[in-house]
Amino acid sequence: MSADRVVVEGLDGHGRVQWRERLALNETRRTFTIGRSIDADVTVDDPFAAEMHASLEVTPDGRIFVNDLGSVNGLVICGKRLRGACDFEVPDNVLQIGRTRLRVRTAAERLEPERPYQVRPSSFLRDPAWIAAIGAVIGGLQLVYNSWLSAPRDLALSIVILLTAAISIGAIWVAIWGLLSRVMQGEWRWLRHTAIFLGVSTAFIALMGILELSAFAFALPLPNSRYTWIGAFALAWALCLHLIHASSLTTGRAALVACVISLVLAGGNDWLQERYQTRNVNYIPAHMHIYPPAVRLRPSETMENYLKGLESLRELADSRLIDALANDPNKDDER
Amino acid sequence: MLRPALIVGLALLLSLPVQAQIRTTPNSPVTPAASQSAREVLAQVRPAVIQIKSFFGSNTAQTSHGTGFAVKDGGVFITNYHVVADRVQYPGKYRLEYRTADGETGAITILAIDLRHDLALVRTAGYAPQPLKLQPSPANKGDRAYSIGFPLDVGLTITEGISNGNVDDSFEPRIHYSGAINAGMSGGPGLNDAGEVIGVNVAGYRFEQLVSFLVPAVHVQALRDGDHAQEATDIDLKKKAAAQIHSHSADLLGALDSTMQTQSVSGYSLPDKIAPFINCHASGNPVSDDHIQTVQIRCLAKAGLYIQPNLYAGDLRYSHYVLSTDRLDAWRFANRLSALTLAVGNYGSARHVGPYACEDRIVGLKGFDAGMLVCARRYRKFEGLYDFVVRVSSLNNSKRGFASHLDIYGVEFEPGMKFIRRYAEAMEWKP
Repeated sequence: MSADRVVVEGLDGHGRVQWRERLALNETRRTFTIGRSIDADVTVDDPFAAEMHASLEVTPDGRIFVNDLGSVNGLVICGKRLRGACDFEVPDNVLQIGRTRLRVRTAAERLEPERPYQVRPSSFLRDPAWIAAIGAVIGGLQLVYNSWLSAPRDLALSIVILLTAAISIGAIWVAIWGLLSRVMQGEWRWLRHTAIFLGVSTAFIALMGILELSAFAFALPLPNSRYTWIGAFALAWALCLHLIHASSLTTGRAALVACVISLVLAGGNDWLQERYQTRNVNYIPAHMHIYPPAVRLRPSETMENYLKGLESLRELADSRLIDALANDPNKDDER
Repeated sequence: MLRPALIVGLALLLSLPVQAQIRTTPNSPVTPAASQSAREVLAQVRPAVIQIKSFFGSNTAQTSHGTGFAVKDGGVFITNYHVVADRVQYPGKYRLEYRTADGETGAITILAIDLRHDLALVRTAGYAPQPLKLQPSPANKGDRAYSIGFPLDVGLTITEGISNGNVDDSFEPRIHYSGAINAGMSGGPGLNDAGEVIGVNVAGYRFEQLVSFLVPAVHVQALRDGDHAQEATDIDLKKKAAAQIHSHSADLLGALDSTMQTQSVSGYSLPDKIAPFINCHASGNPVSDDHIQTVQIRCLAKAGLYIQPNLYAGDLRYSHYVLSTDRLDAWRFANRLSALTLAVGNYGSARHVGPYACEDRIVGLKGFDAGMLVCARRYRKFEGLYDFVVRVSSLNNSKRGFASHLDIYGVEFEPGMKFIRRYAEAMEWKP
């Protein structure tokens, strides 16, 4: 590009070039006009632009200054609307006239180096295709294992139902994020969102299984809210990755948004659970999943110790009743 | 009004063969024509029998109704506790009225209650008929008997049947009456053919054939002869009700305080019929179900004390599900056993009980390790009463195992825990 050449590009909502116009400038002529009129140097087909909307001056070092030529709607620069701008510098060479976004490219522009064709990620663990494939295989195996545990009863039917349900949920989830990517970034990014869904959900299910098995093996108590909070962690992780790929948020902001949403959902779920358990007096807040005897690695507790621990059960039951009474709007009606 | 628990429990009893054994002695006189005798008995006791109605607030339409009969001069009547239970538990919300067979009406006050035998002593205002006589001896098997009351509000009615004496192995004493007792007859007199009271109508199985129950007259006599001249205050009645519930619960667990009888199934010794009044049934699947053989043992005490609708106390039940397999692997067998440990609490209303608090651990029992879960919840209105849910699951064998469910209703905490300990310690692995 010659030093006196300027390219004016019309952009769409995702920043992609829709049309391009070249202008030649020289020592005496360093300005050009933009407007709806055919007399303007760059003609835009935009009813919200004036006939002669603005004039732009390009300095020899590539800086751009804009003058409003008396338009009604003014100019939008860096997201702010300016009216009657006079010799106003356009910082990133992008401005909006009416509803038309324009980018002015000059010879001073620094171009990114050429991108090599089809570069593979440094590790297969960074490759969405691999992550999606590994997640699908491990997740599928987990579902098949769960069905197999109930075998021989309805094994095939159980596998079909579970896989259909999982695929349906996954498809809806990925479709939502794909749609958001299309709107925000102009691309569907199916593979990345599929990889995020399969990777995170498989990791979550595997982690829960390992926790249950470890709790049984080492005779450890598991808190009832484990699904809520580990689920919240997994959701935050997935949301953060989805937002990075689907929105224009920075990584920090995406992480913040994901954490806030997950914490709010987990806290709300915890509150609802607590409320349900307090009101449903027939609910038993405990269930031990049993595994084969060979899995057990820690000796059992003696009956004496267990009963000693149960001495606090009365206080616990009393305090649960007190909590329930405190939340009962009808407690004063008992006469 | 009939005890709803017995109606609900009908399903459990549908499988029981009921054989009414009517025994007559060779020297007993020939029973007169039934209709003649019934007419005479009804004519004799008619003035002494009243209908007792319960009203909610100031409504003139009744909420429920039962029957009562005079047992003492001065208008003192006996009825069932469950006929007046709403008035006892919610004195500000319910009121009681009587109606004679001739249509006279008036107010009723409660003098005393006996929850354990489901009796209440009441006084009528302005109506004092001649009291009925109590039969001095216990009811005999095979004697002609009658029951009188106001079934379904259709007027004074007499039914004719046979007394089958005291029910065998019942925690609270009951006379088995082979005759009809329908809703509304509760609290009415059960009579011999001389018109003497042998018991008080209390319950019947709605879909069985004439299996009904009377409270023996000896308990009527105890309540009648007690010092109950004055009307009891609402607070006194509630206190007495609470004390009687505690006493019943203590007696129930006290009756189970002997050596716990067990039976061996698949190498596990498990609590069986641990007292004469405990009713146990065993069943199994003759053909394996998905490679699993199951033996199921269910035991019921049927000792629950009616307090008010949907609230019973002082009862227990337990069941064992013993599984074995020769074809399933350890993982799938453990999964089947695990499904049986899912605990659902005894039915209870949030108006009566609080939520459960639970503790679960893996504990060492006799010869095997087991997953054990104990949950407790406290009663709202009755200080010191708790429900317990206990689940015990064996963890020692990959081909054989059991899940045991124990539910205890409305007992004190310490005796309840003591029983739970004895229950768990009675279990043993003896392959």
